[in-house]
Amino acid sequence: MRIAPLLRCLGVLTLLLSPAALAASDEQARVLDVQALFAKMSRVSHVLNYQGSFTYEHKDSPNLQGFRLAHWVVDGVEYERLQYLNGADREIVRNGRELSCLTPRDQLLQGRLRQAGAETARLDELYHFQTQYVERVAGRLTSVLQVAPRDIYRYGYLLSVDHETGLILKSLMVDANGRVLERLQFLDLDLNPDIAELEQLPAARRQHISNSEINDCNQIEAGEPEDWRLSWVPDGFVFVGQQQLDGREMLMYTDGLANFSVFIEPTSDLPPEGVGQRGATSLFMSKVMRGQQLHRVSVVGEIPTLAAEQIALGLEPQLETIP
Amino acid sequence: MTEQIISRPLAESLSALVDNEASELELQRVLKASQTDPEVRRTWERFQITSAVMRRDMPAFELGDFASRVSAAIAEEETHQPLESQEQEAAPIAKRQPWWQNMARFAVAASVAGGVILFAQNLEQTTIDAPEIAAASSSAAPVILPPSVYQGQLRTVGMQNGYDMRQEQRQIMFVPHQASVPAVTHEELIDYFNELVEVHADHAALNSGQGLLPFARVVLTEED
Repeated sequence: MRIAPLLRCLGVLTLLLSPAALAASDEQARVLDVQALFAKMSRVSHVLNYQGSFTYEHKDSPNLQGFRLAHWVVDGVEYERLQYLNGADREIVRNGRELSCLTPRDQLLQGRLRQAGAETARLDELYHFQTQYVERVAGRLTSVLQVAPRDIYRYGYLLSVDHETGLILKSLMVDANGRVLERLQFLDLDLNPDIAELEQLPAARRQHISNSEINDCNQIEAGEPEDWRLSWVPDGFVFVGQQQLDGREMLMYTDGLANFSVFIEPTSDLPPEGVGQRGATSLFMSKVMRGQQLHRVSVVGEIPTLAAEQIALGLEPQLETIP
Repeated sequence: MTEQIISRPLAESLSALVDNEASELELQRVLKASQTDPEVRRTWERFQITSAVMRRDMPAFELGDFASRVSAAIAEEETHQPLESQEQEAAPIAKRQPWWQNMARFAVAASVAGGVILFAQNLEQTTIDAPEIAAASSSAAPVILPPSVYQGQLRTVGMQNGYDMRQEQRQIMFVPHQASVPAVTHEELIDYFNELVEVHADHAALNSGQGLLPFARVVLTEED
């Protein structure tokens, strides 16, 4: 069973992170286990077949939204479908990603991603991890893992990790003041969905196909964006991809838990500037010159507005590539 | 009904300030607005007076304390229910609130947001209703207004201000920079933000380890 190692890992984690064991344990060993645990949790979410519904809410809206998620694997290829149960009849579909193709994040968590030849930061250098208590979510036993940021440039989390599978069944994102920014919680989980039935599910009235090829497979070097560079990113964030969409350049960064994207597009009018927020997602808009051309810059991500602002202000063109 | 002049998100920010639950962004927003808009200033003053009872100390911003606060929160979670009912009576002397209360109350964020609007709407309208609503707000959530009342009031507000639930989901709290010349409308800004969030979700879905879950943050509408 592929879940067995994970279970062992979870067991070890519970032991190692318990306050009593903490004092005596070897810091390094504890730390490596956290990283390994996240790598395994991530792996499990790719290889398992499951179906469940969950609710999502965030601090800026009184609405509670429902979703149904299905994930299954056929011949080493992942299929995933997310249905919106409220509002417009829509679904997000992501098909055809091969299990052998590891995302930059998976590579990062497995310690295989290097940046400019150097090792990338380990999760424990960016966050403080502690298991808290056991709680039931979706009728299943979970361990609550508290993830507290070590700096002011990222948010904290409370993650309820399913004992049997390692799937995250409940996730709270928390800011530095302890305010919950968003909450996502499963209501039920079926580990033996009827795949034939899932494949034949009538499509929602509108489908959005999620682009699953924005990152390279099994990347080992984080690399650098083309044409642009960020003079500052919070510690531990690595560049994981770049794409062009409708004349808009998009740079992608992750620290293994949080993500942000930088959007850059040429403009002739002065772009609006300022800072915005909805739930856990921040937006910072500014402008930058590249040669004679004015560009609109937007940083979007699940990071504090302060981080988004500093990232945006650090964007500069790579001088050698200016025509 | 002077409150109608103030945009609804701003009214929410104001109320969040009163509740000491305002984020840095909300604070900026209100401060900025109060400089230029006397109406905002007046509303703020009125909020201040009527909220004397519900004023609480803001949890200090101490990042290093984060872990211990979370631990304390968890340790106290067991006794959380009884505490809440006691607190309704003890509200005026309530001092520093453990942050976990915010967490527990997230479930009723709806009533807080709803309460804000009701509060603003009813303040001048009916002095008889106001104390009740203030009381509901002062306990910062355990008292949820009956759905019928809440929905009805919200719809009234919605009709008056041209909001509906779907539009509300699309909203973003935005503070323009002073130097900035806003060449776009708020609606264009919202569209732009939602577009970026959707593209960003592709990235987050691949790199967050939670599959398509980041798409829960994307607001889709019929028109998309």
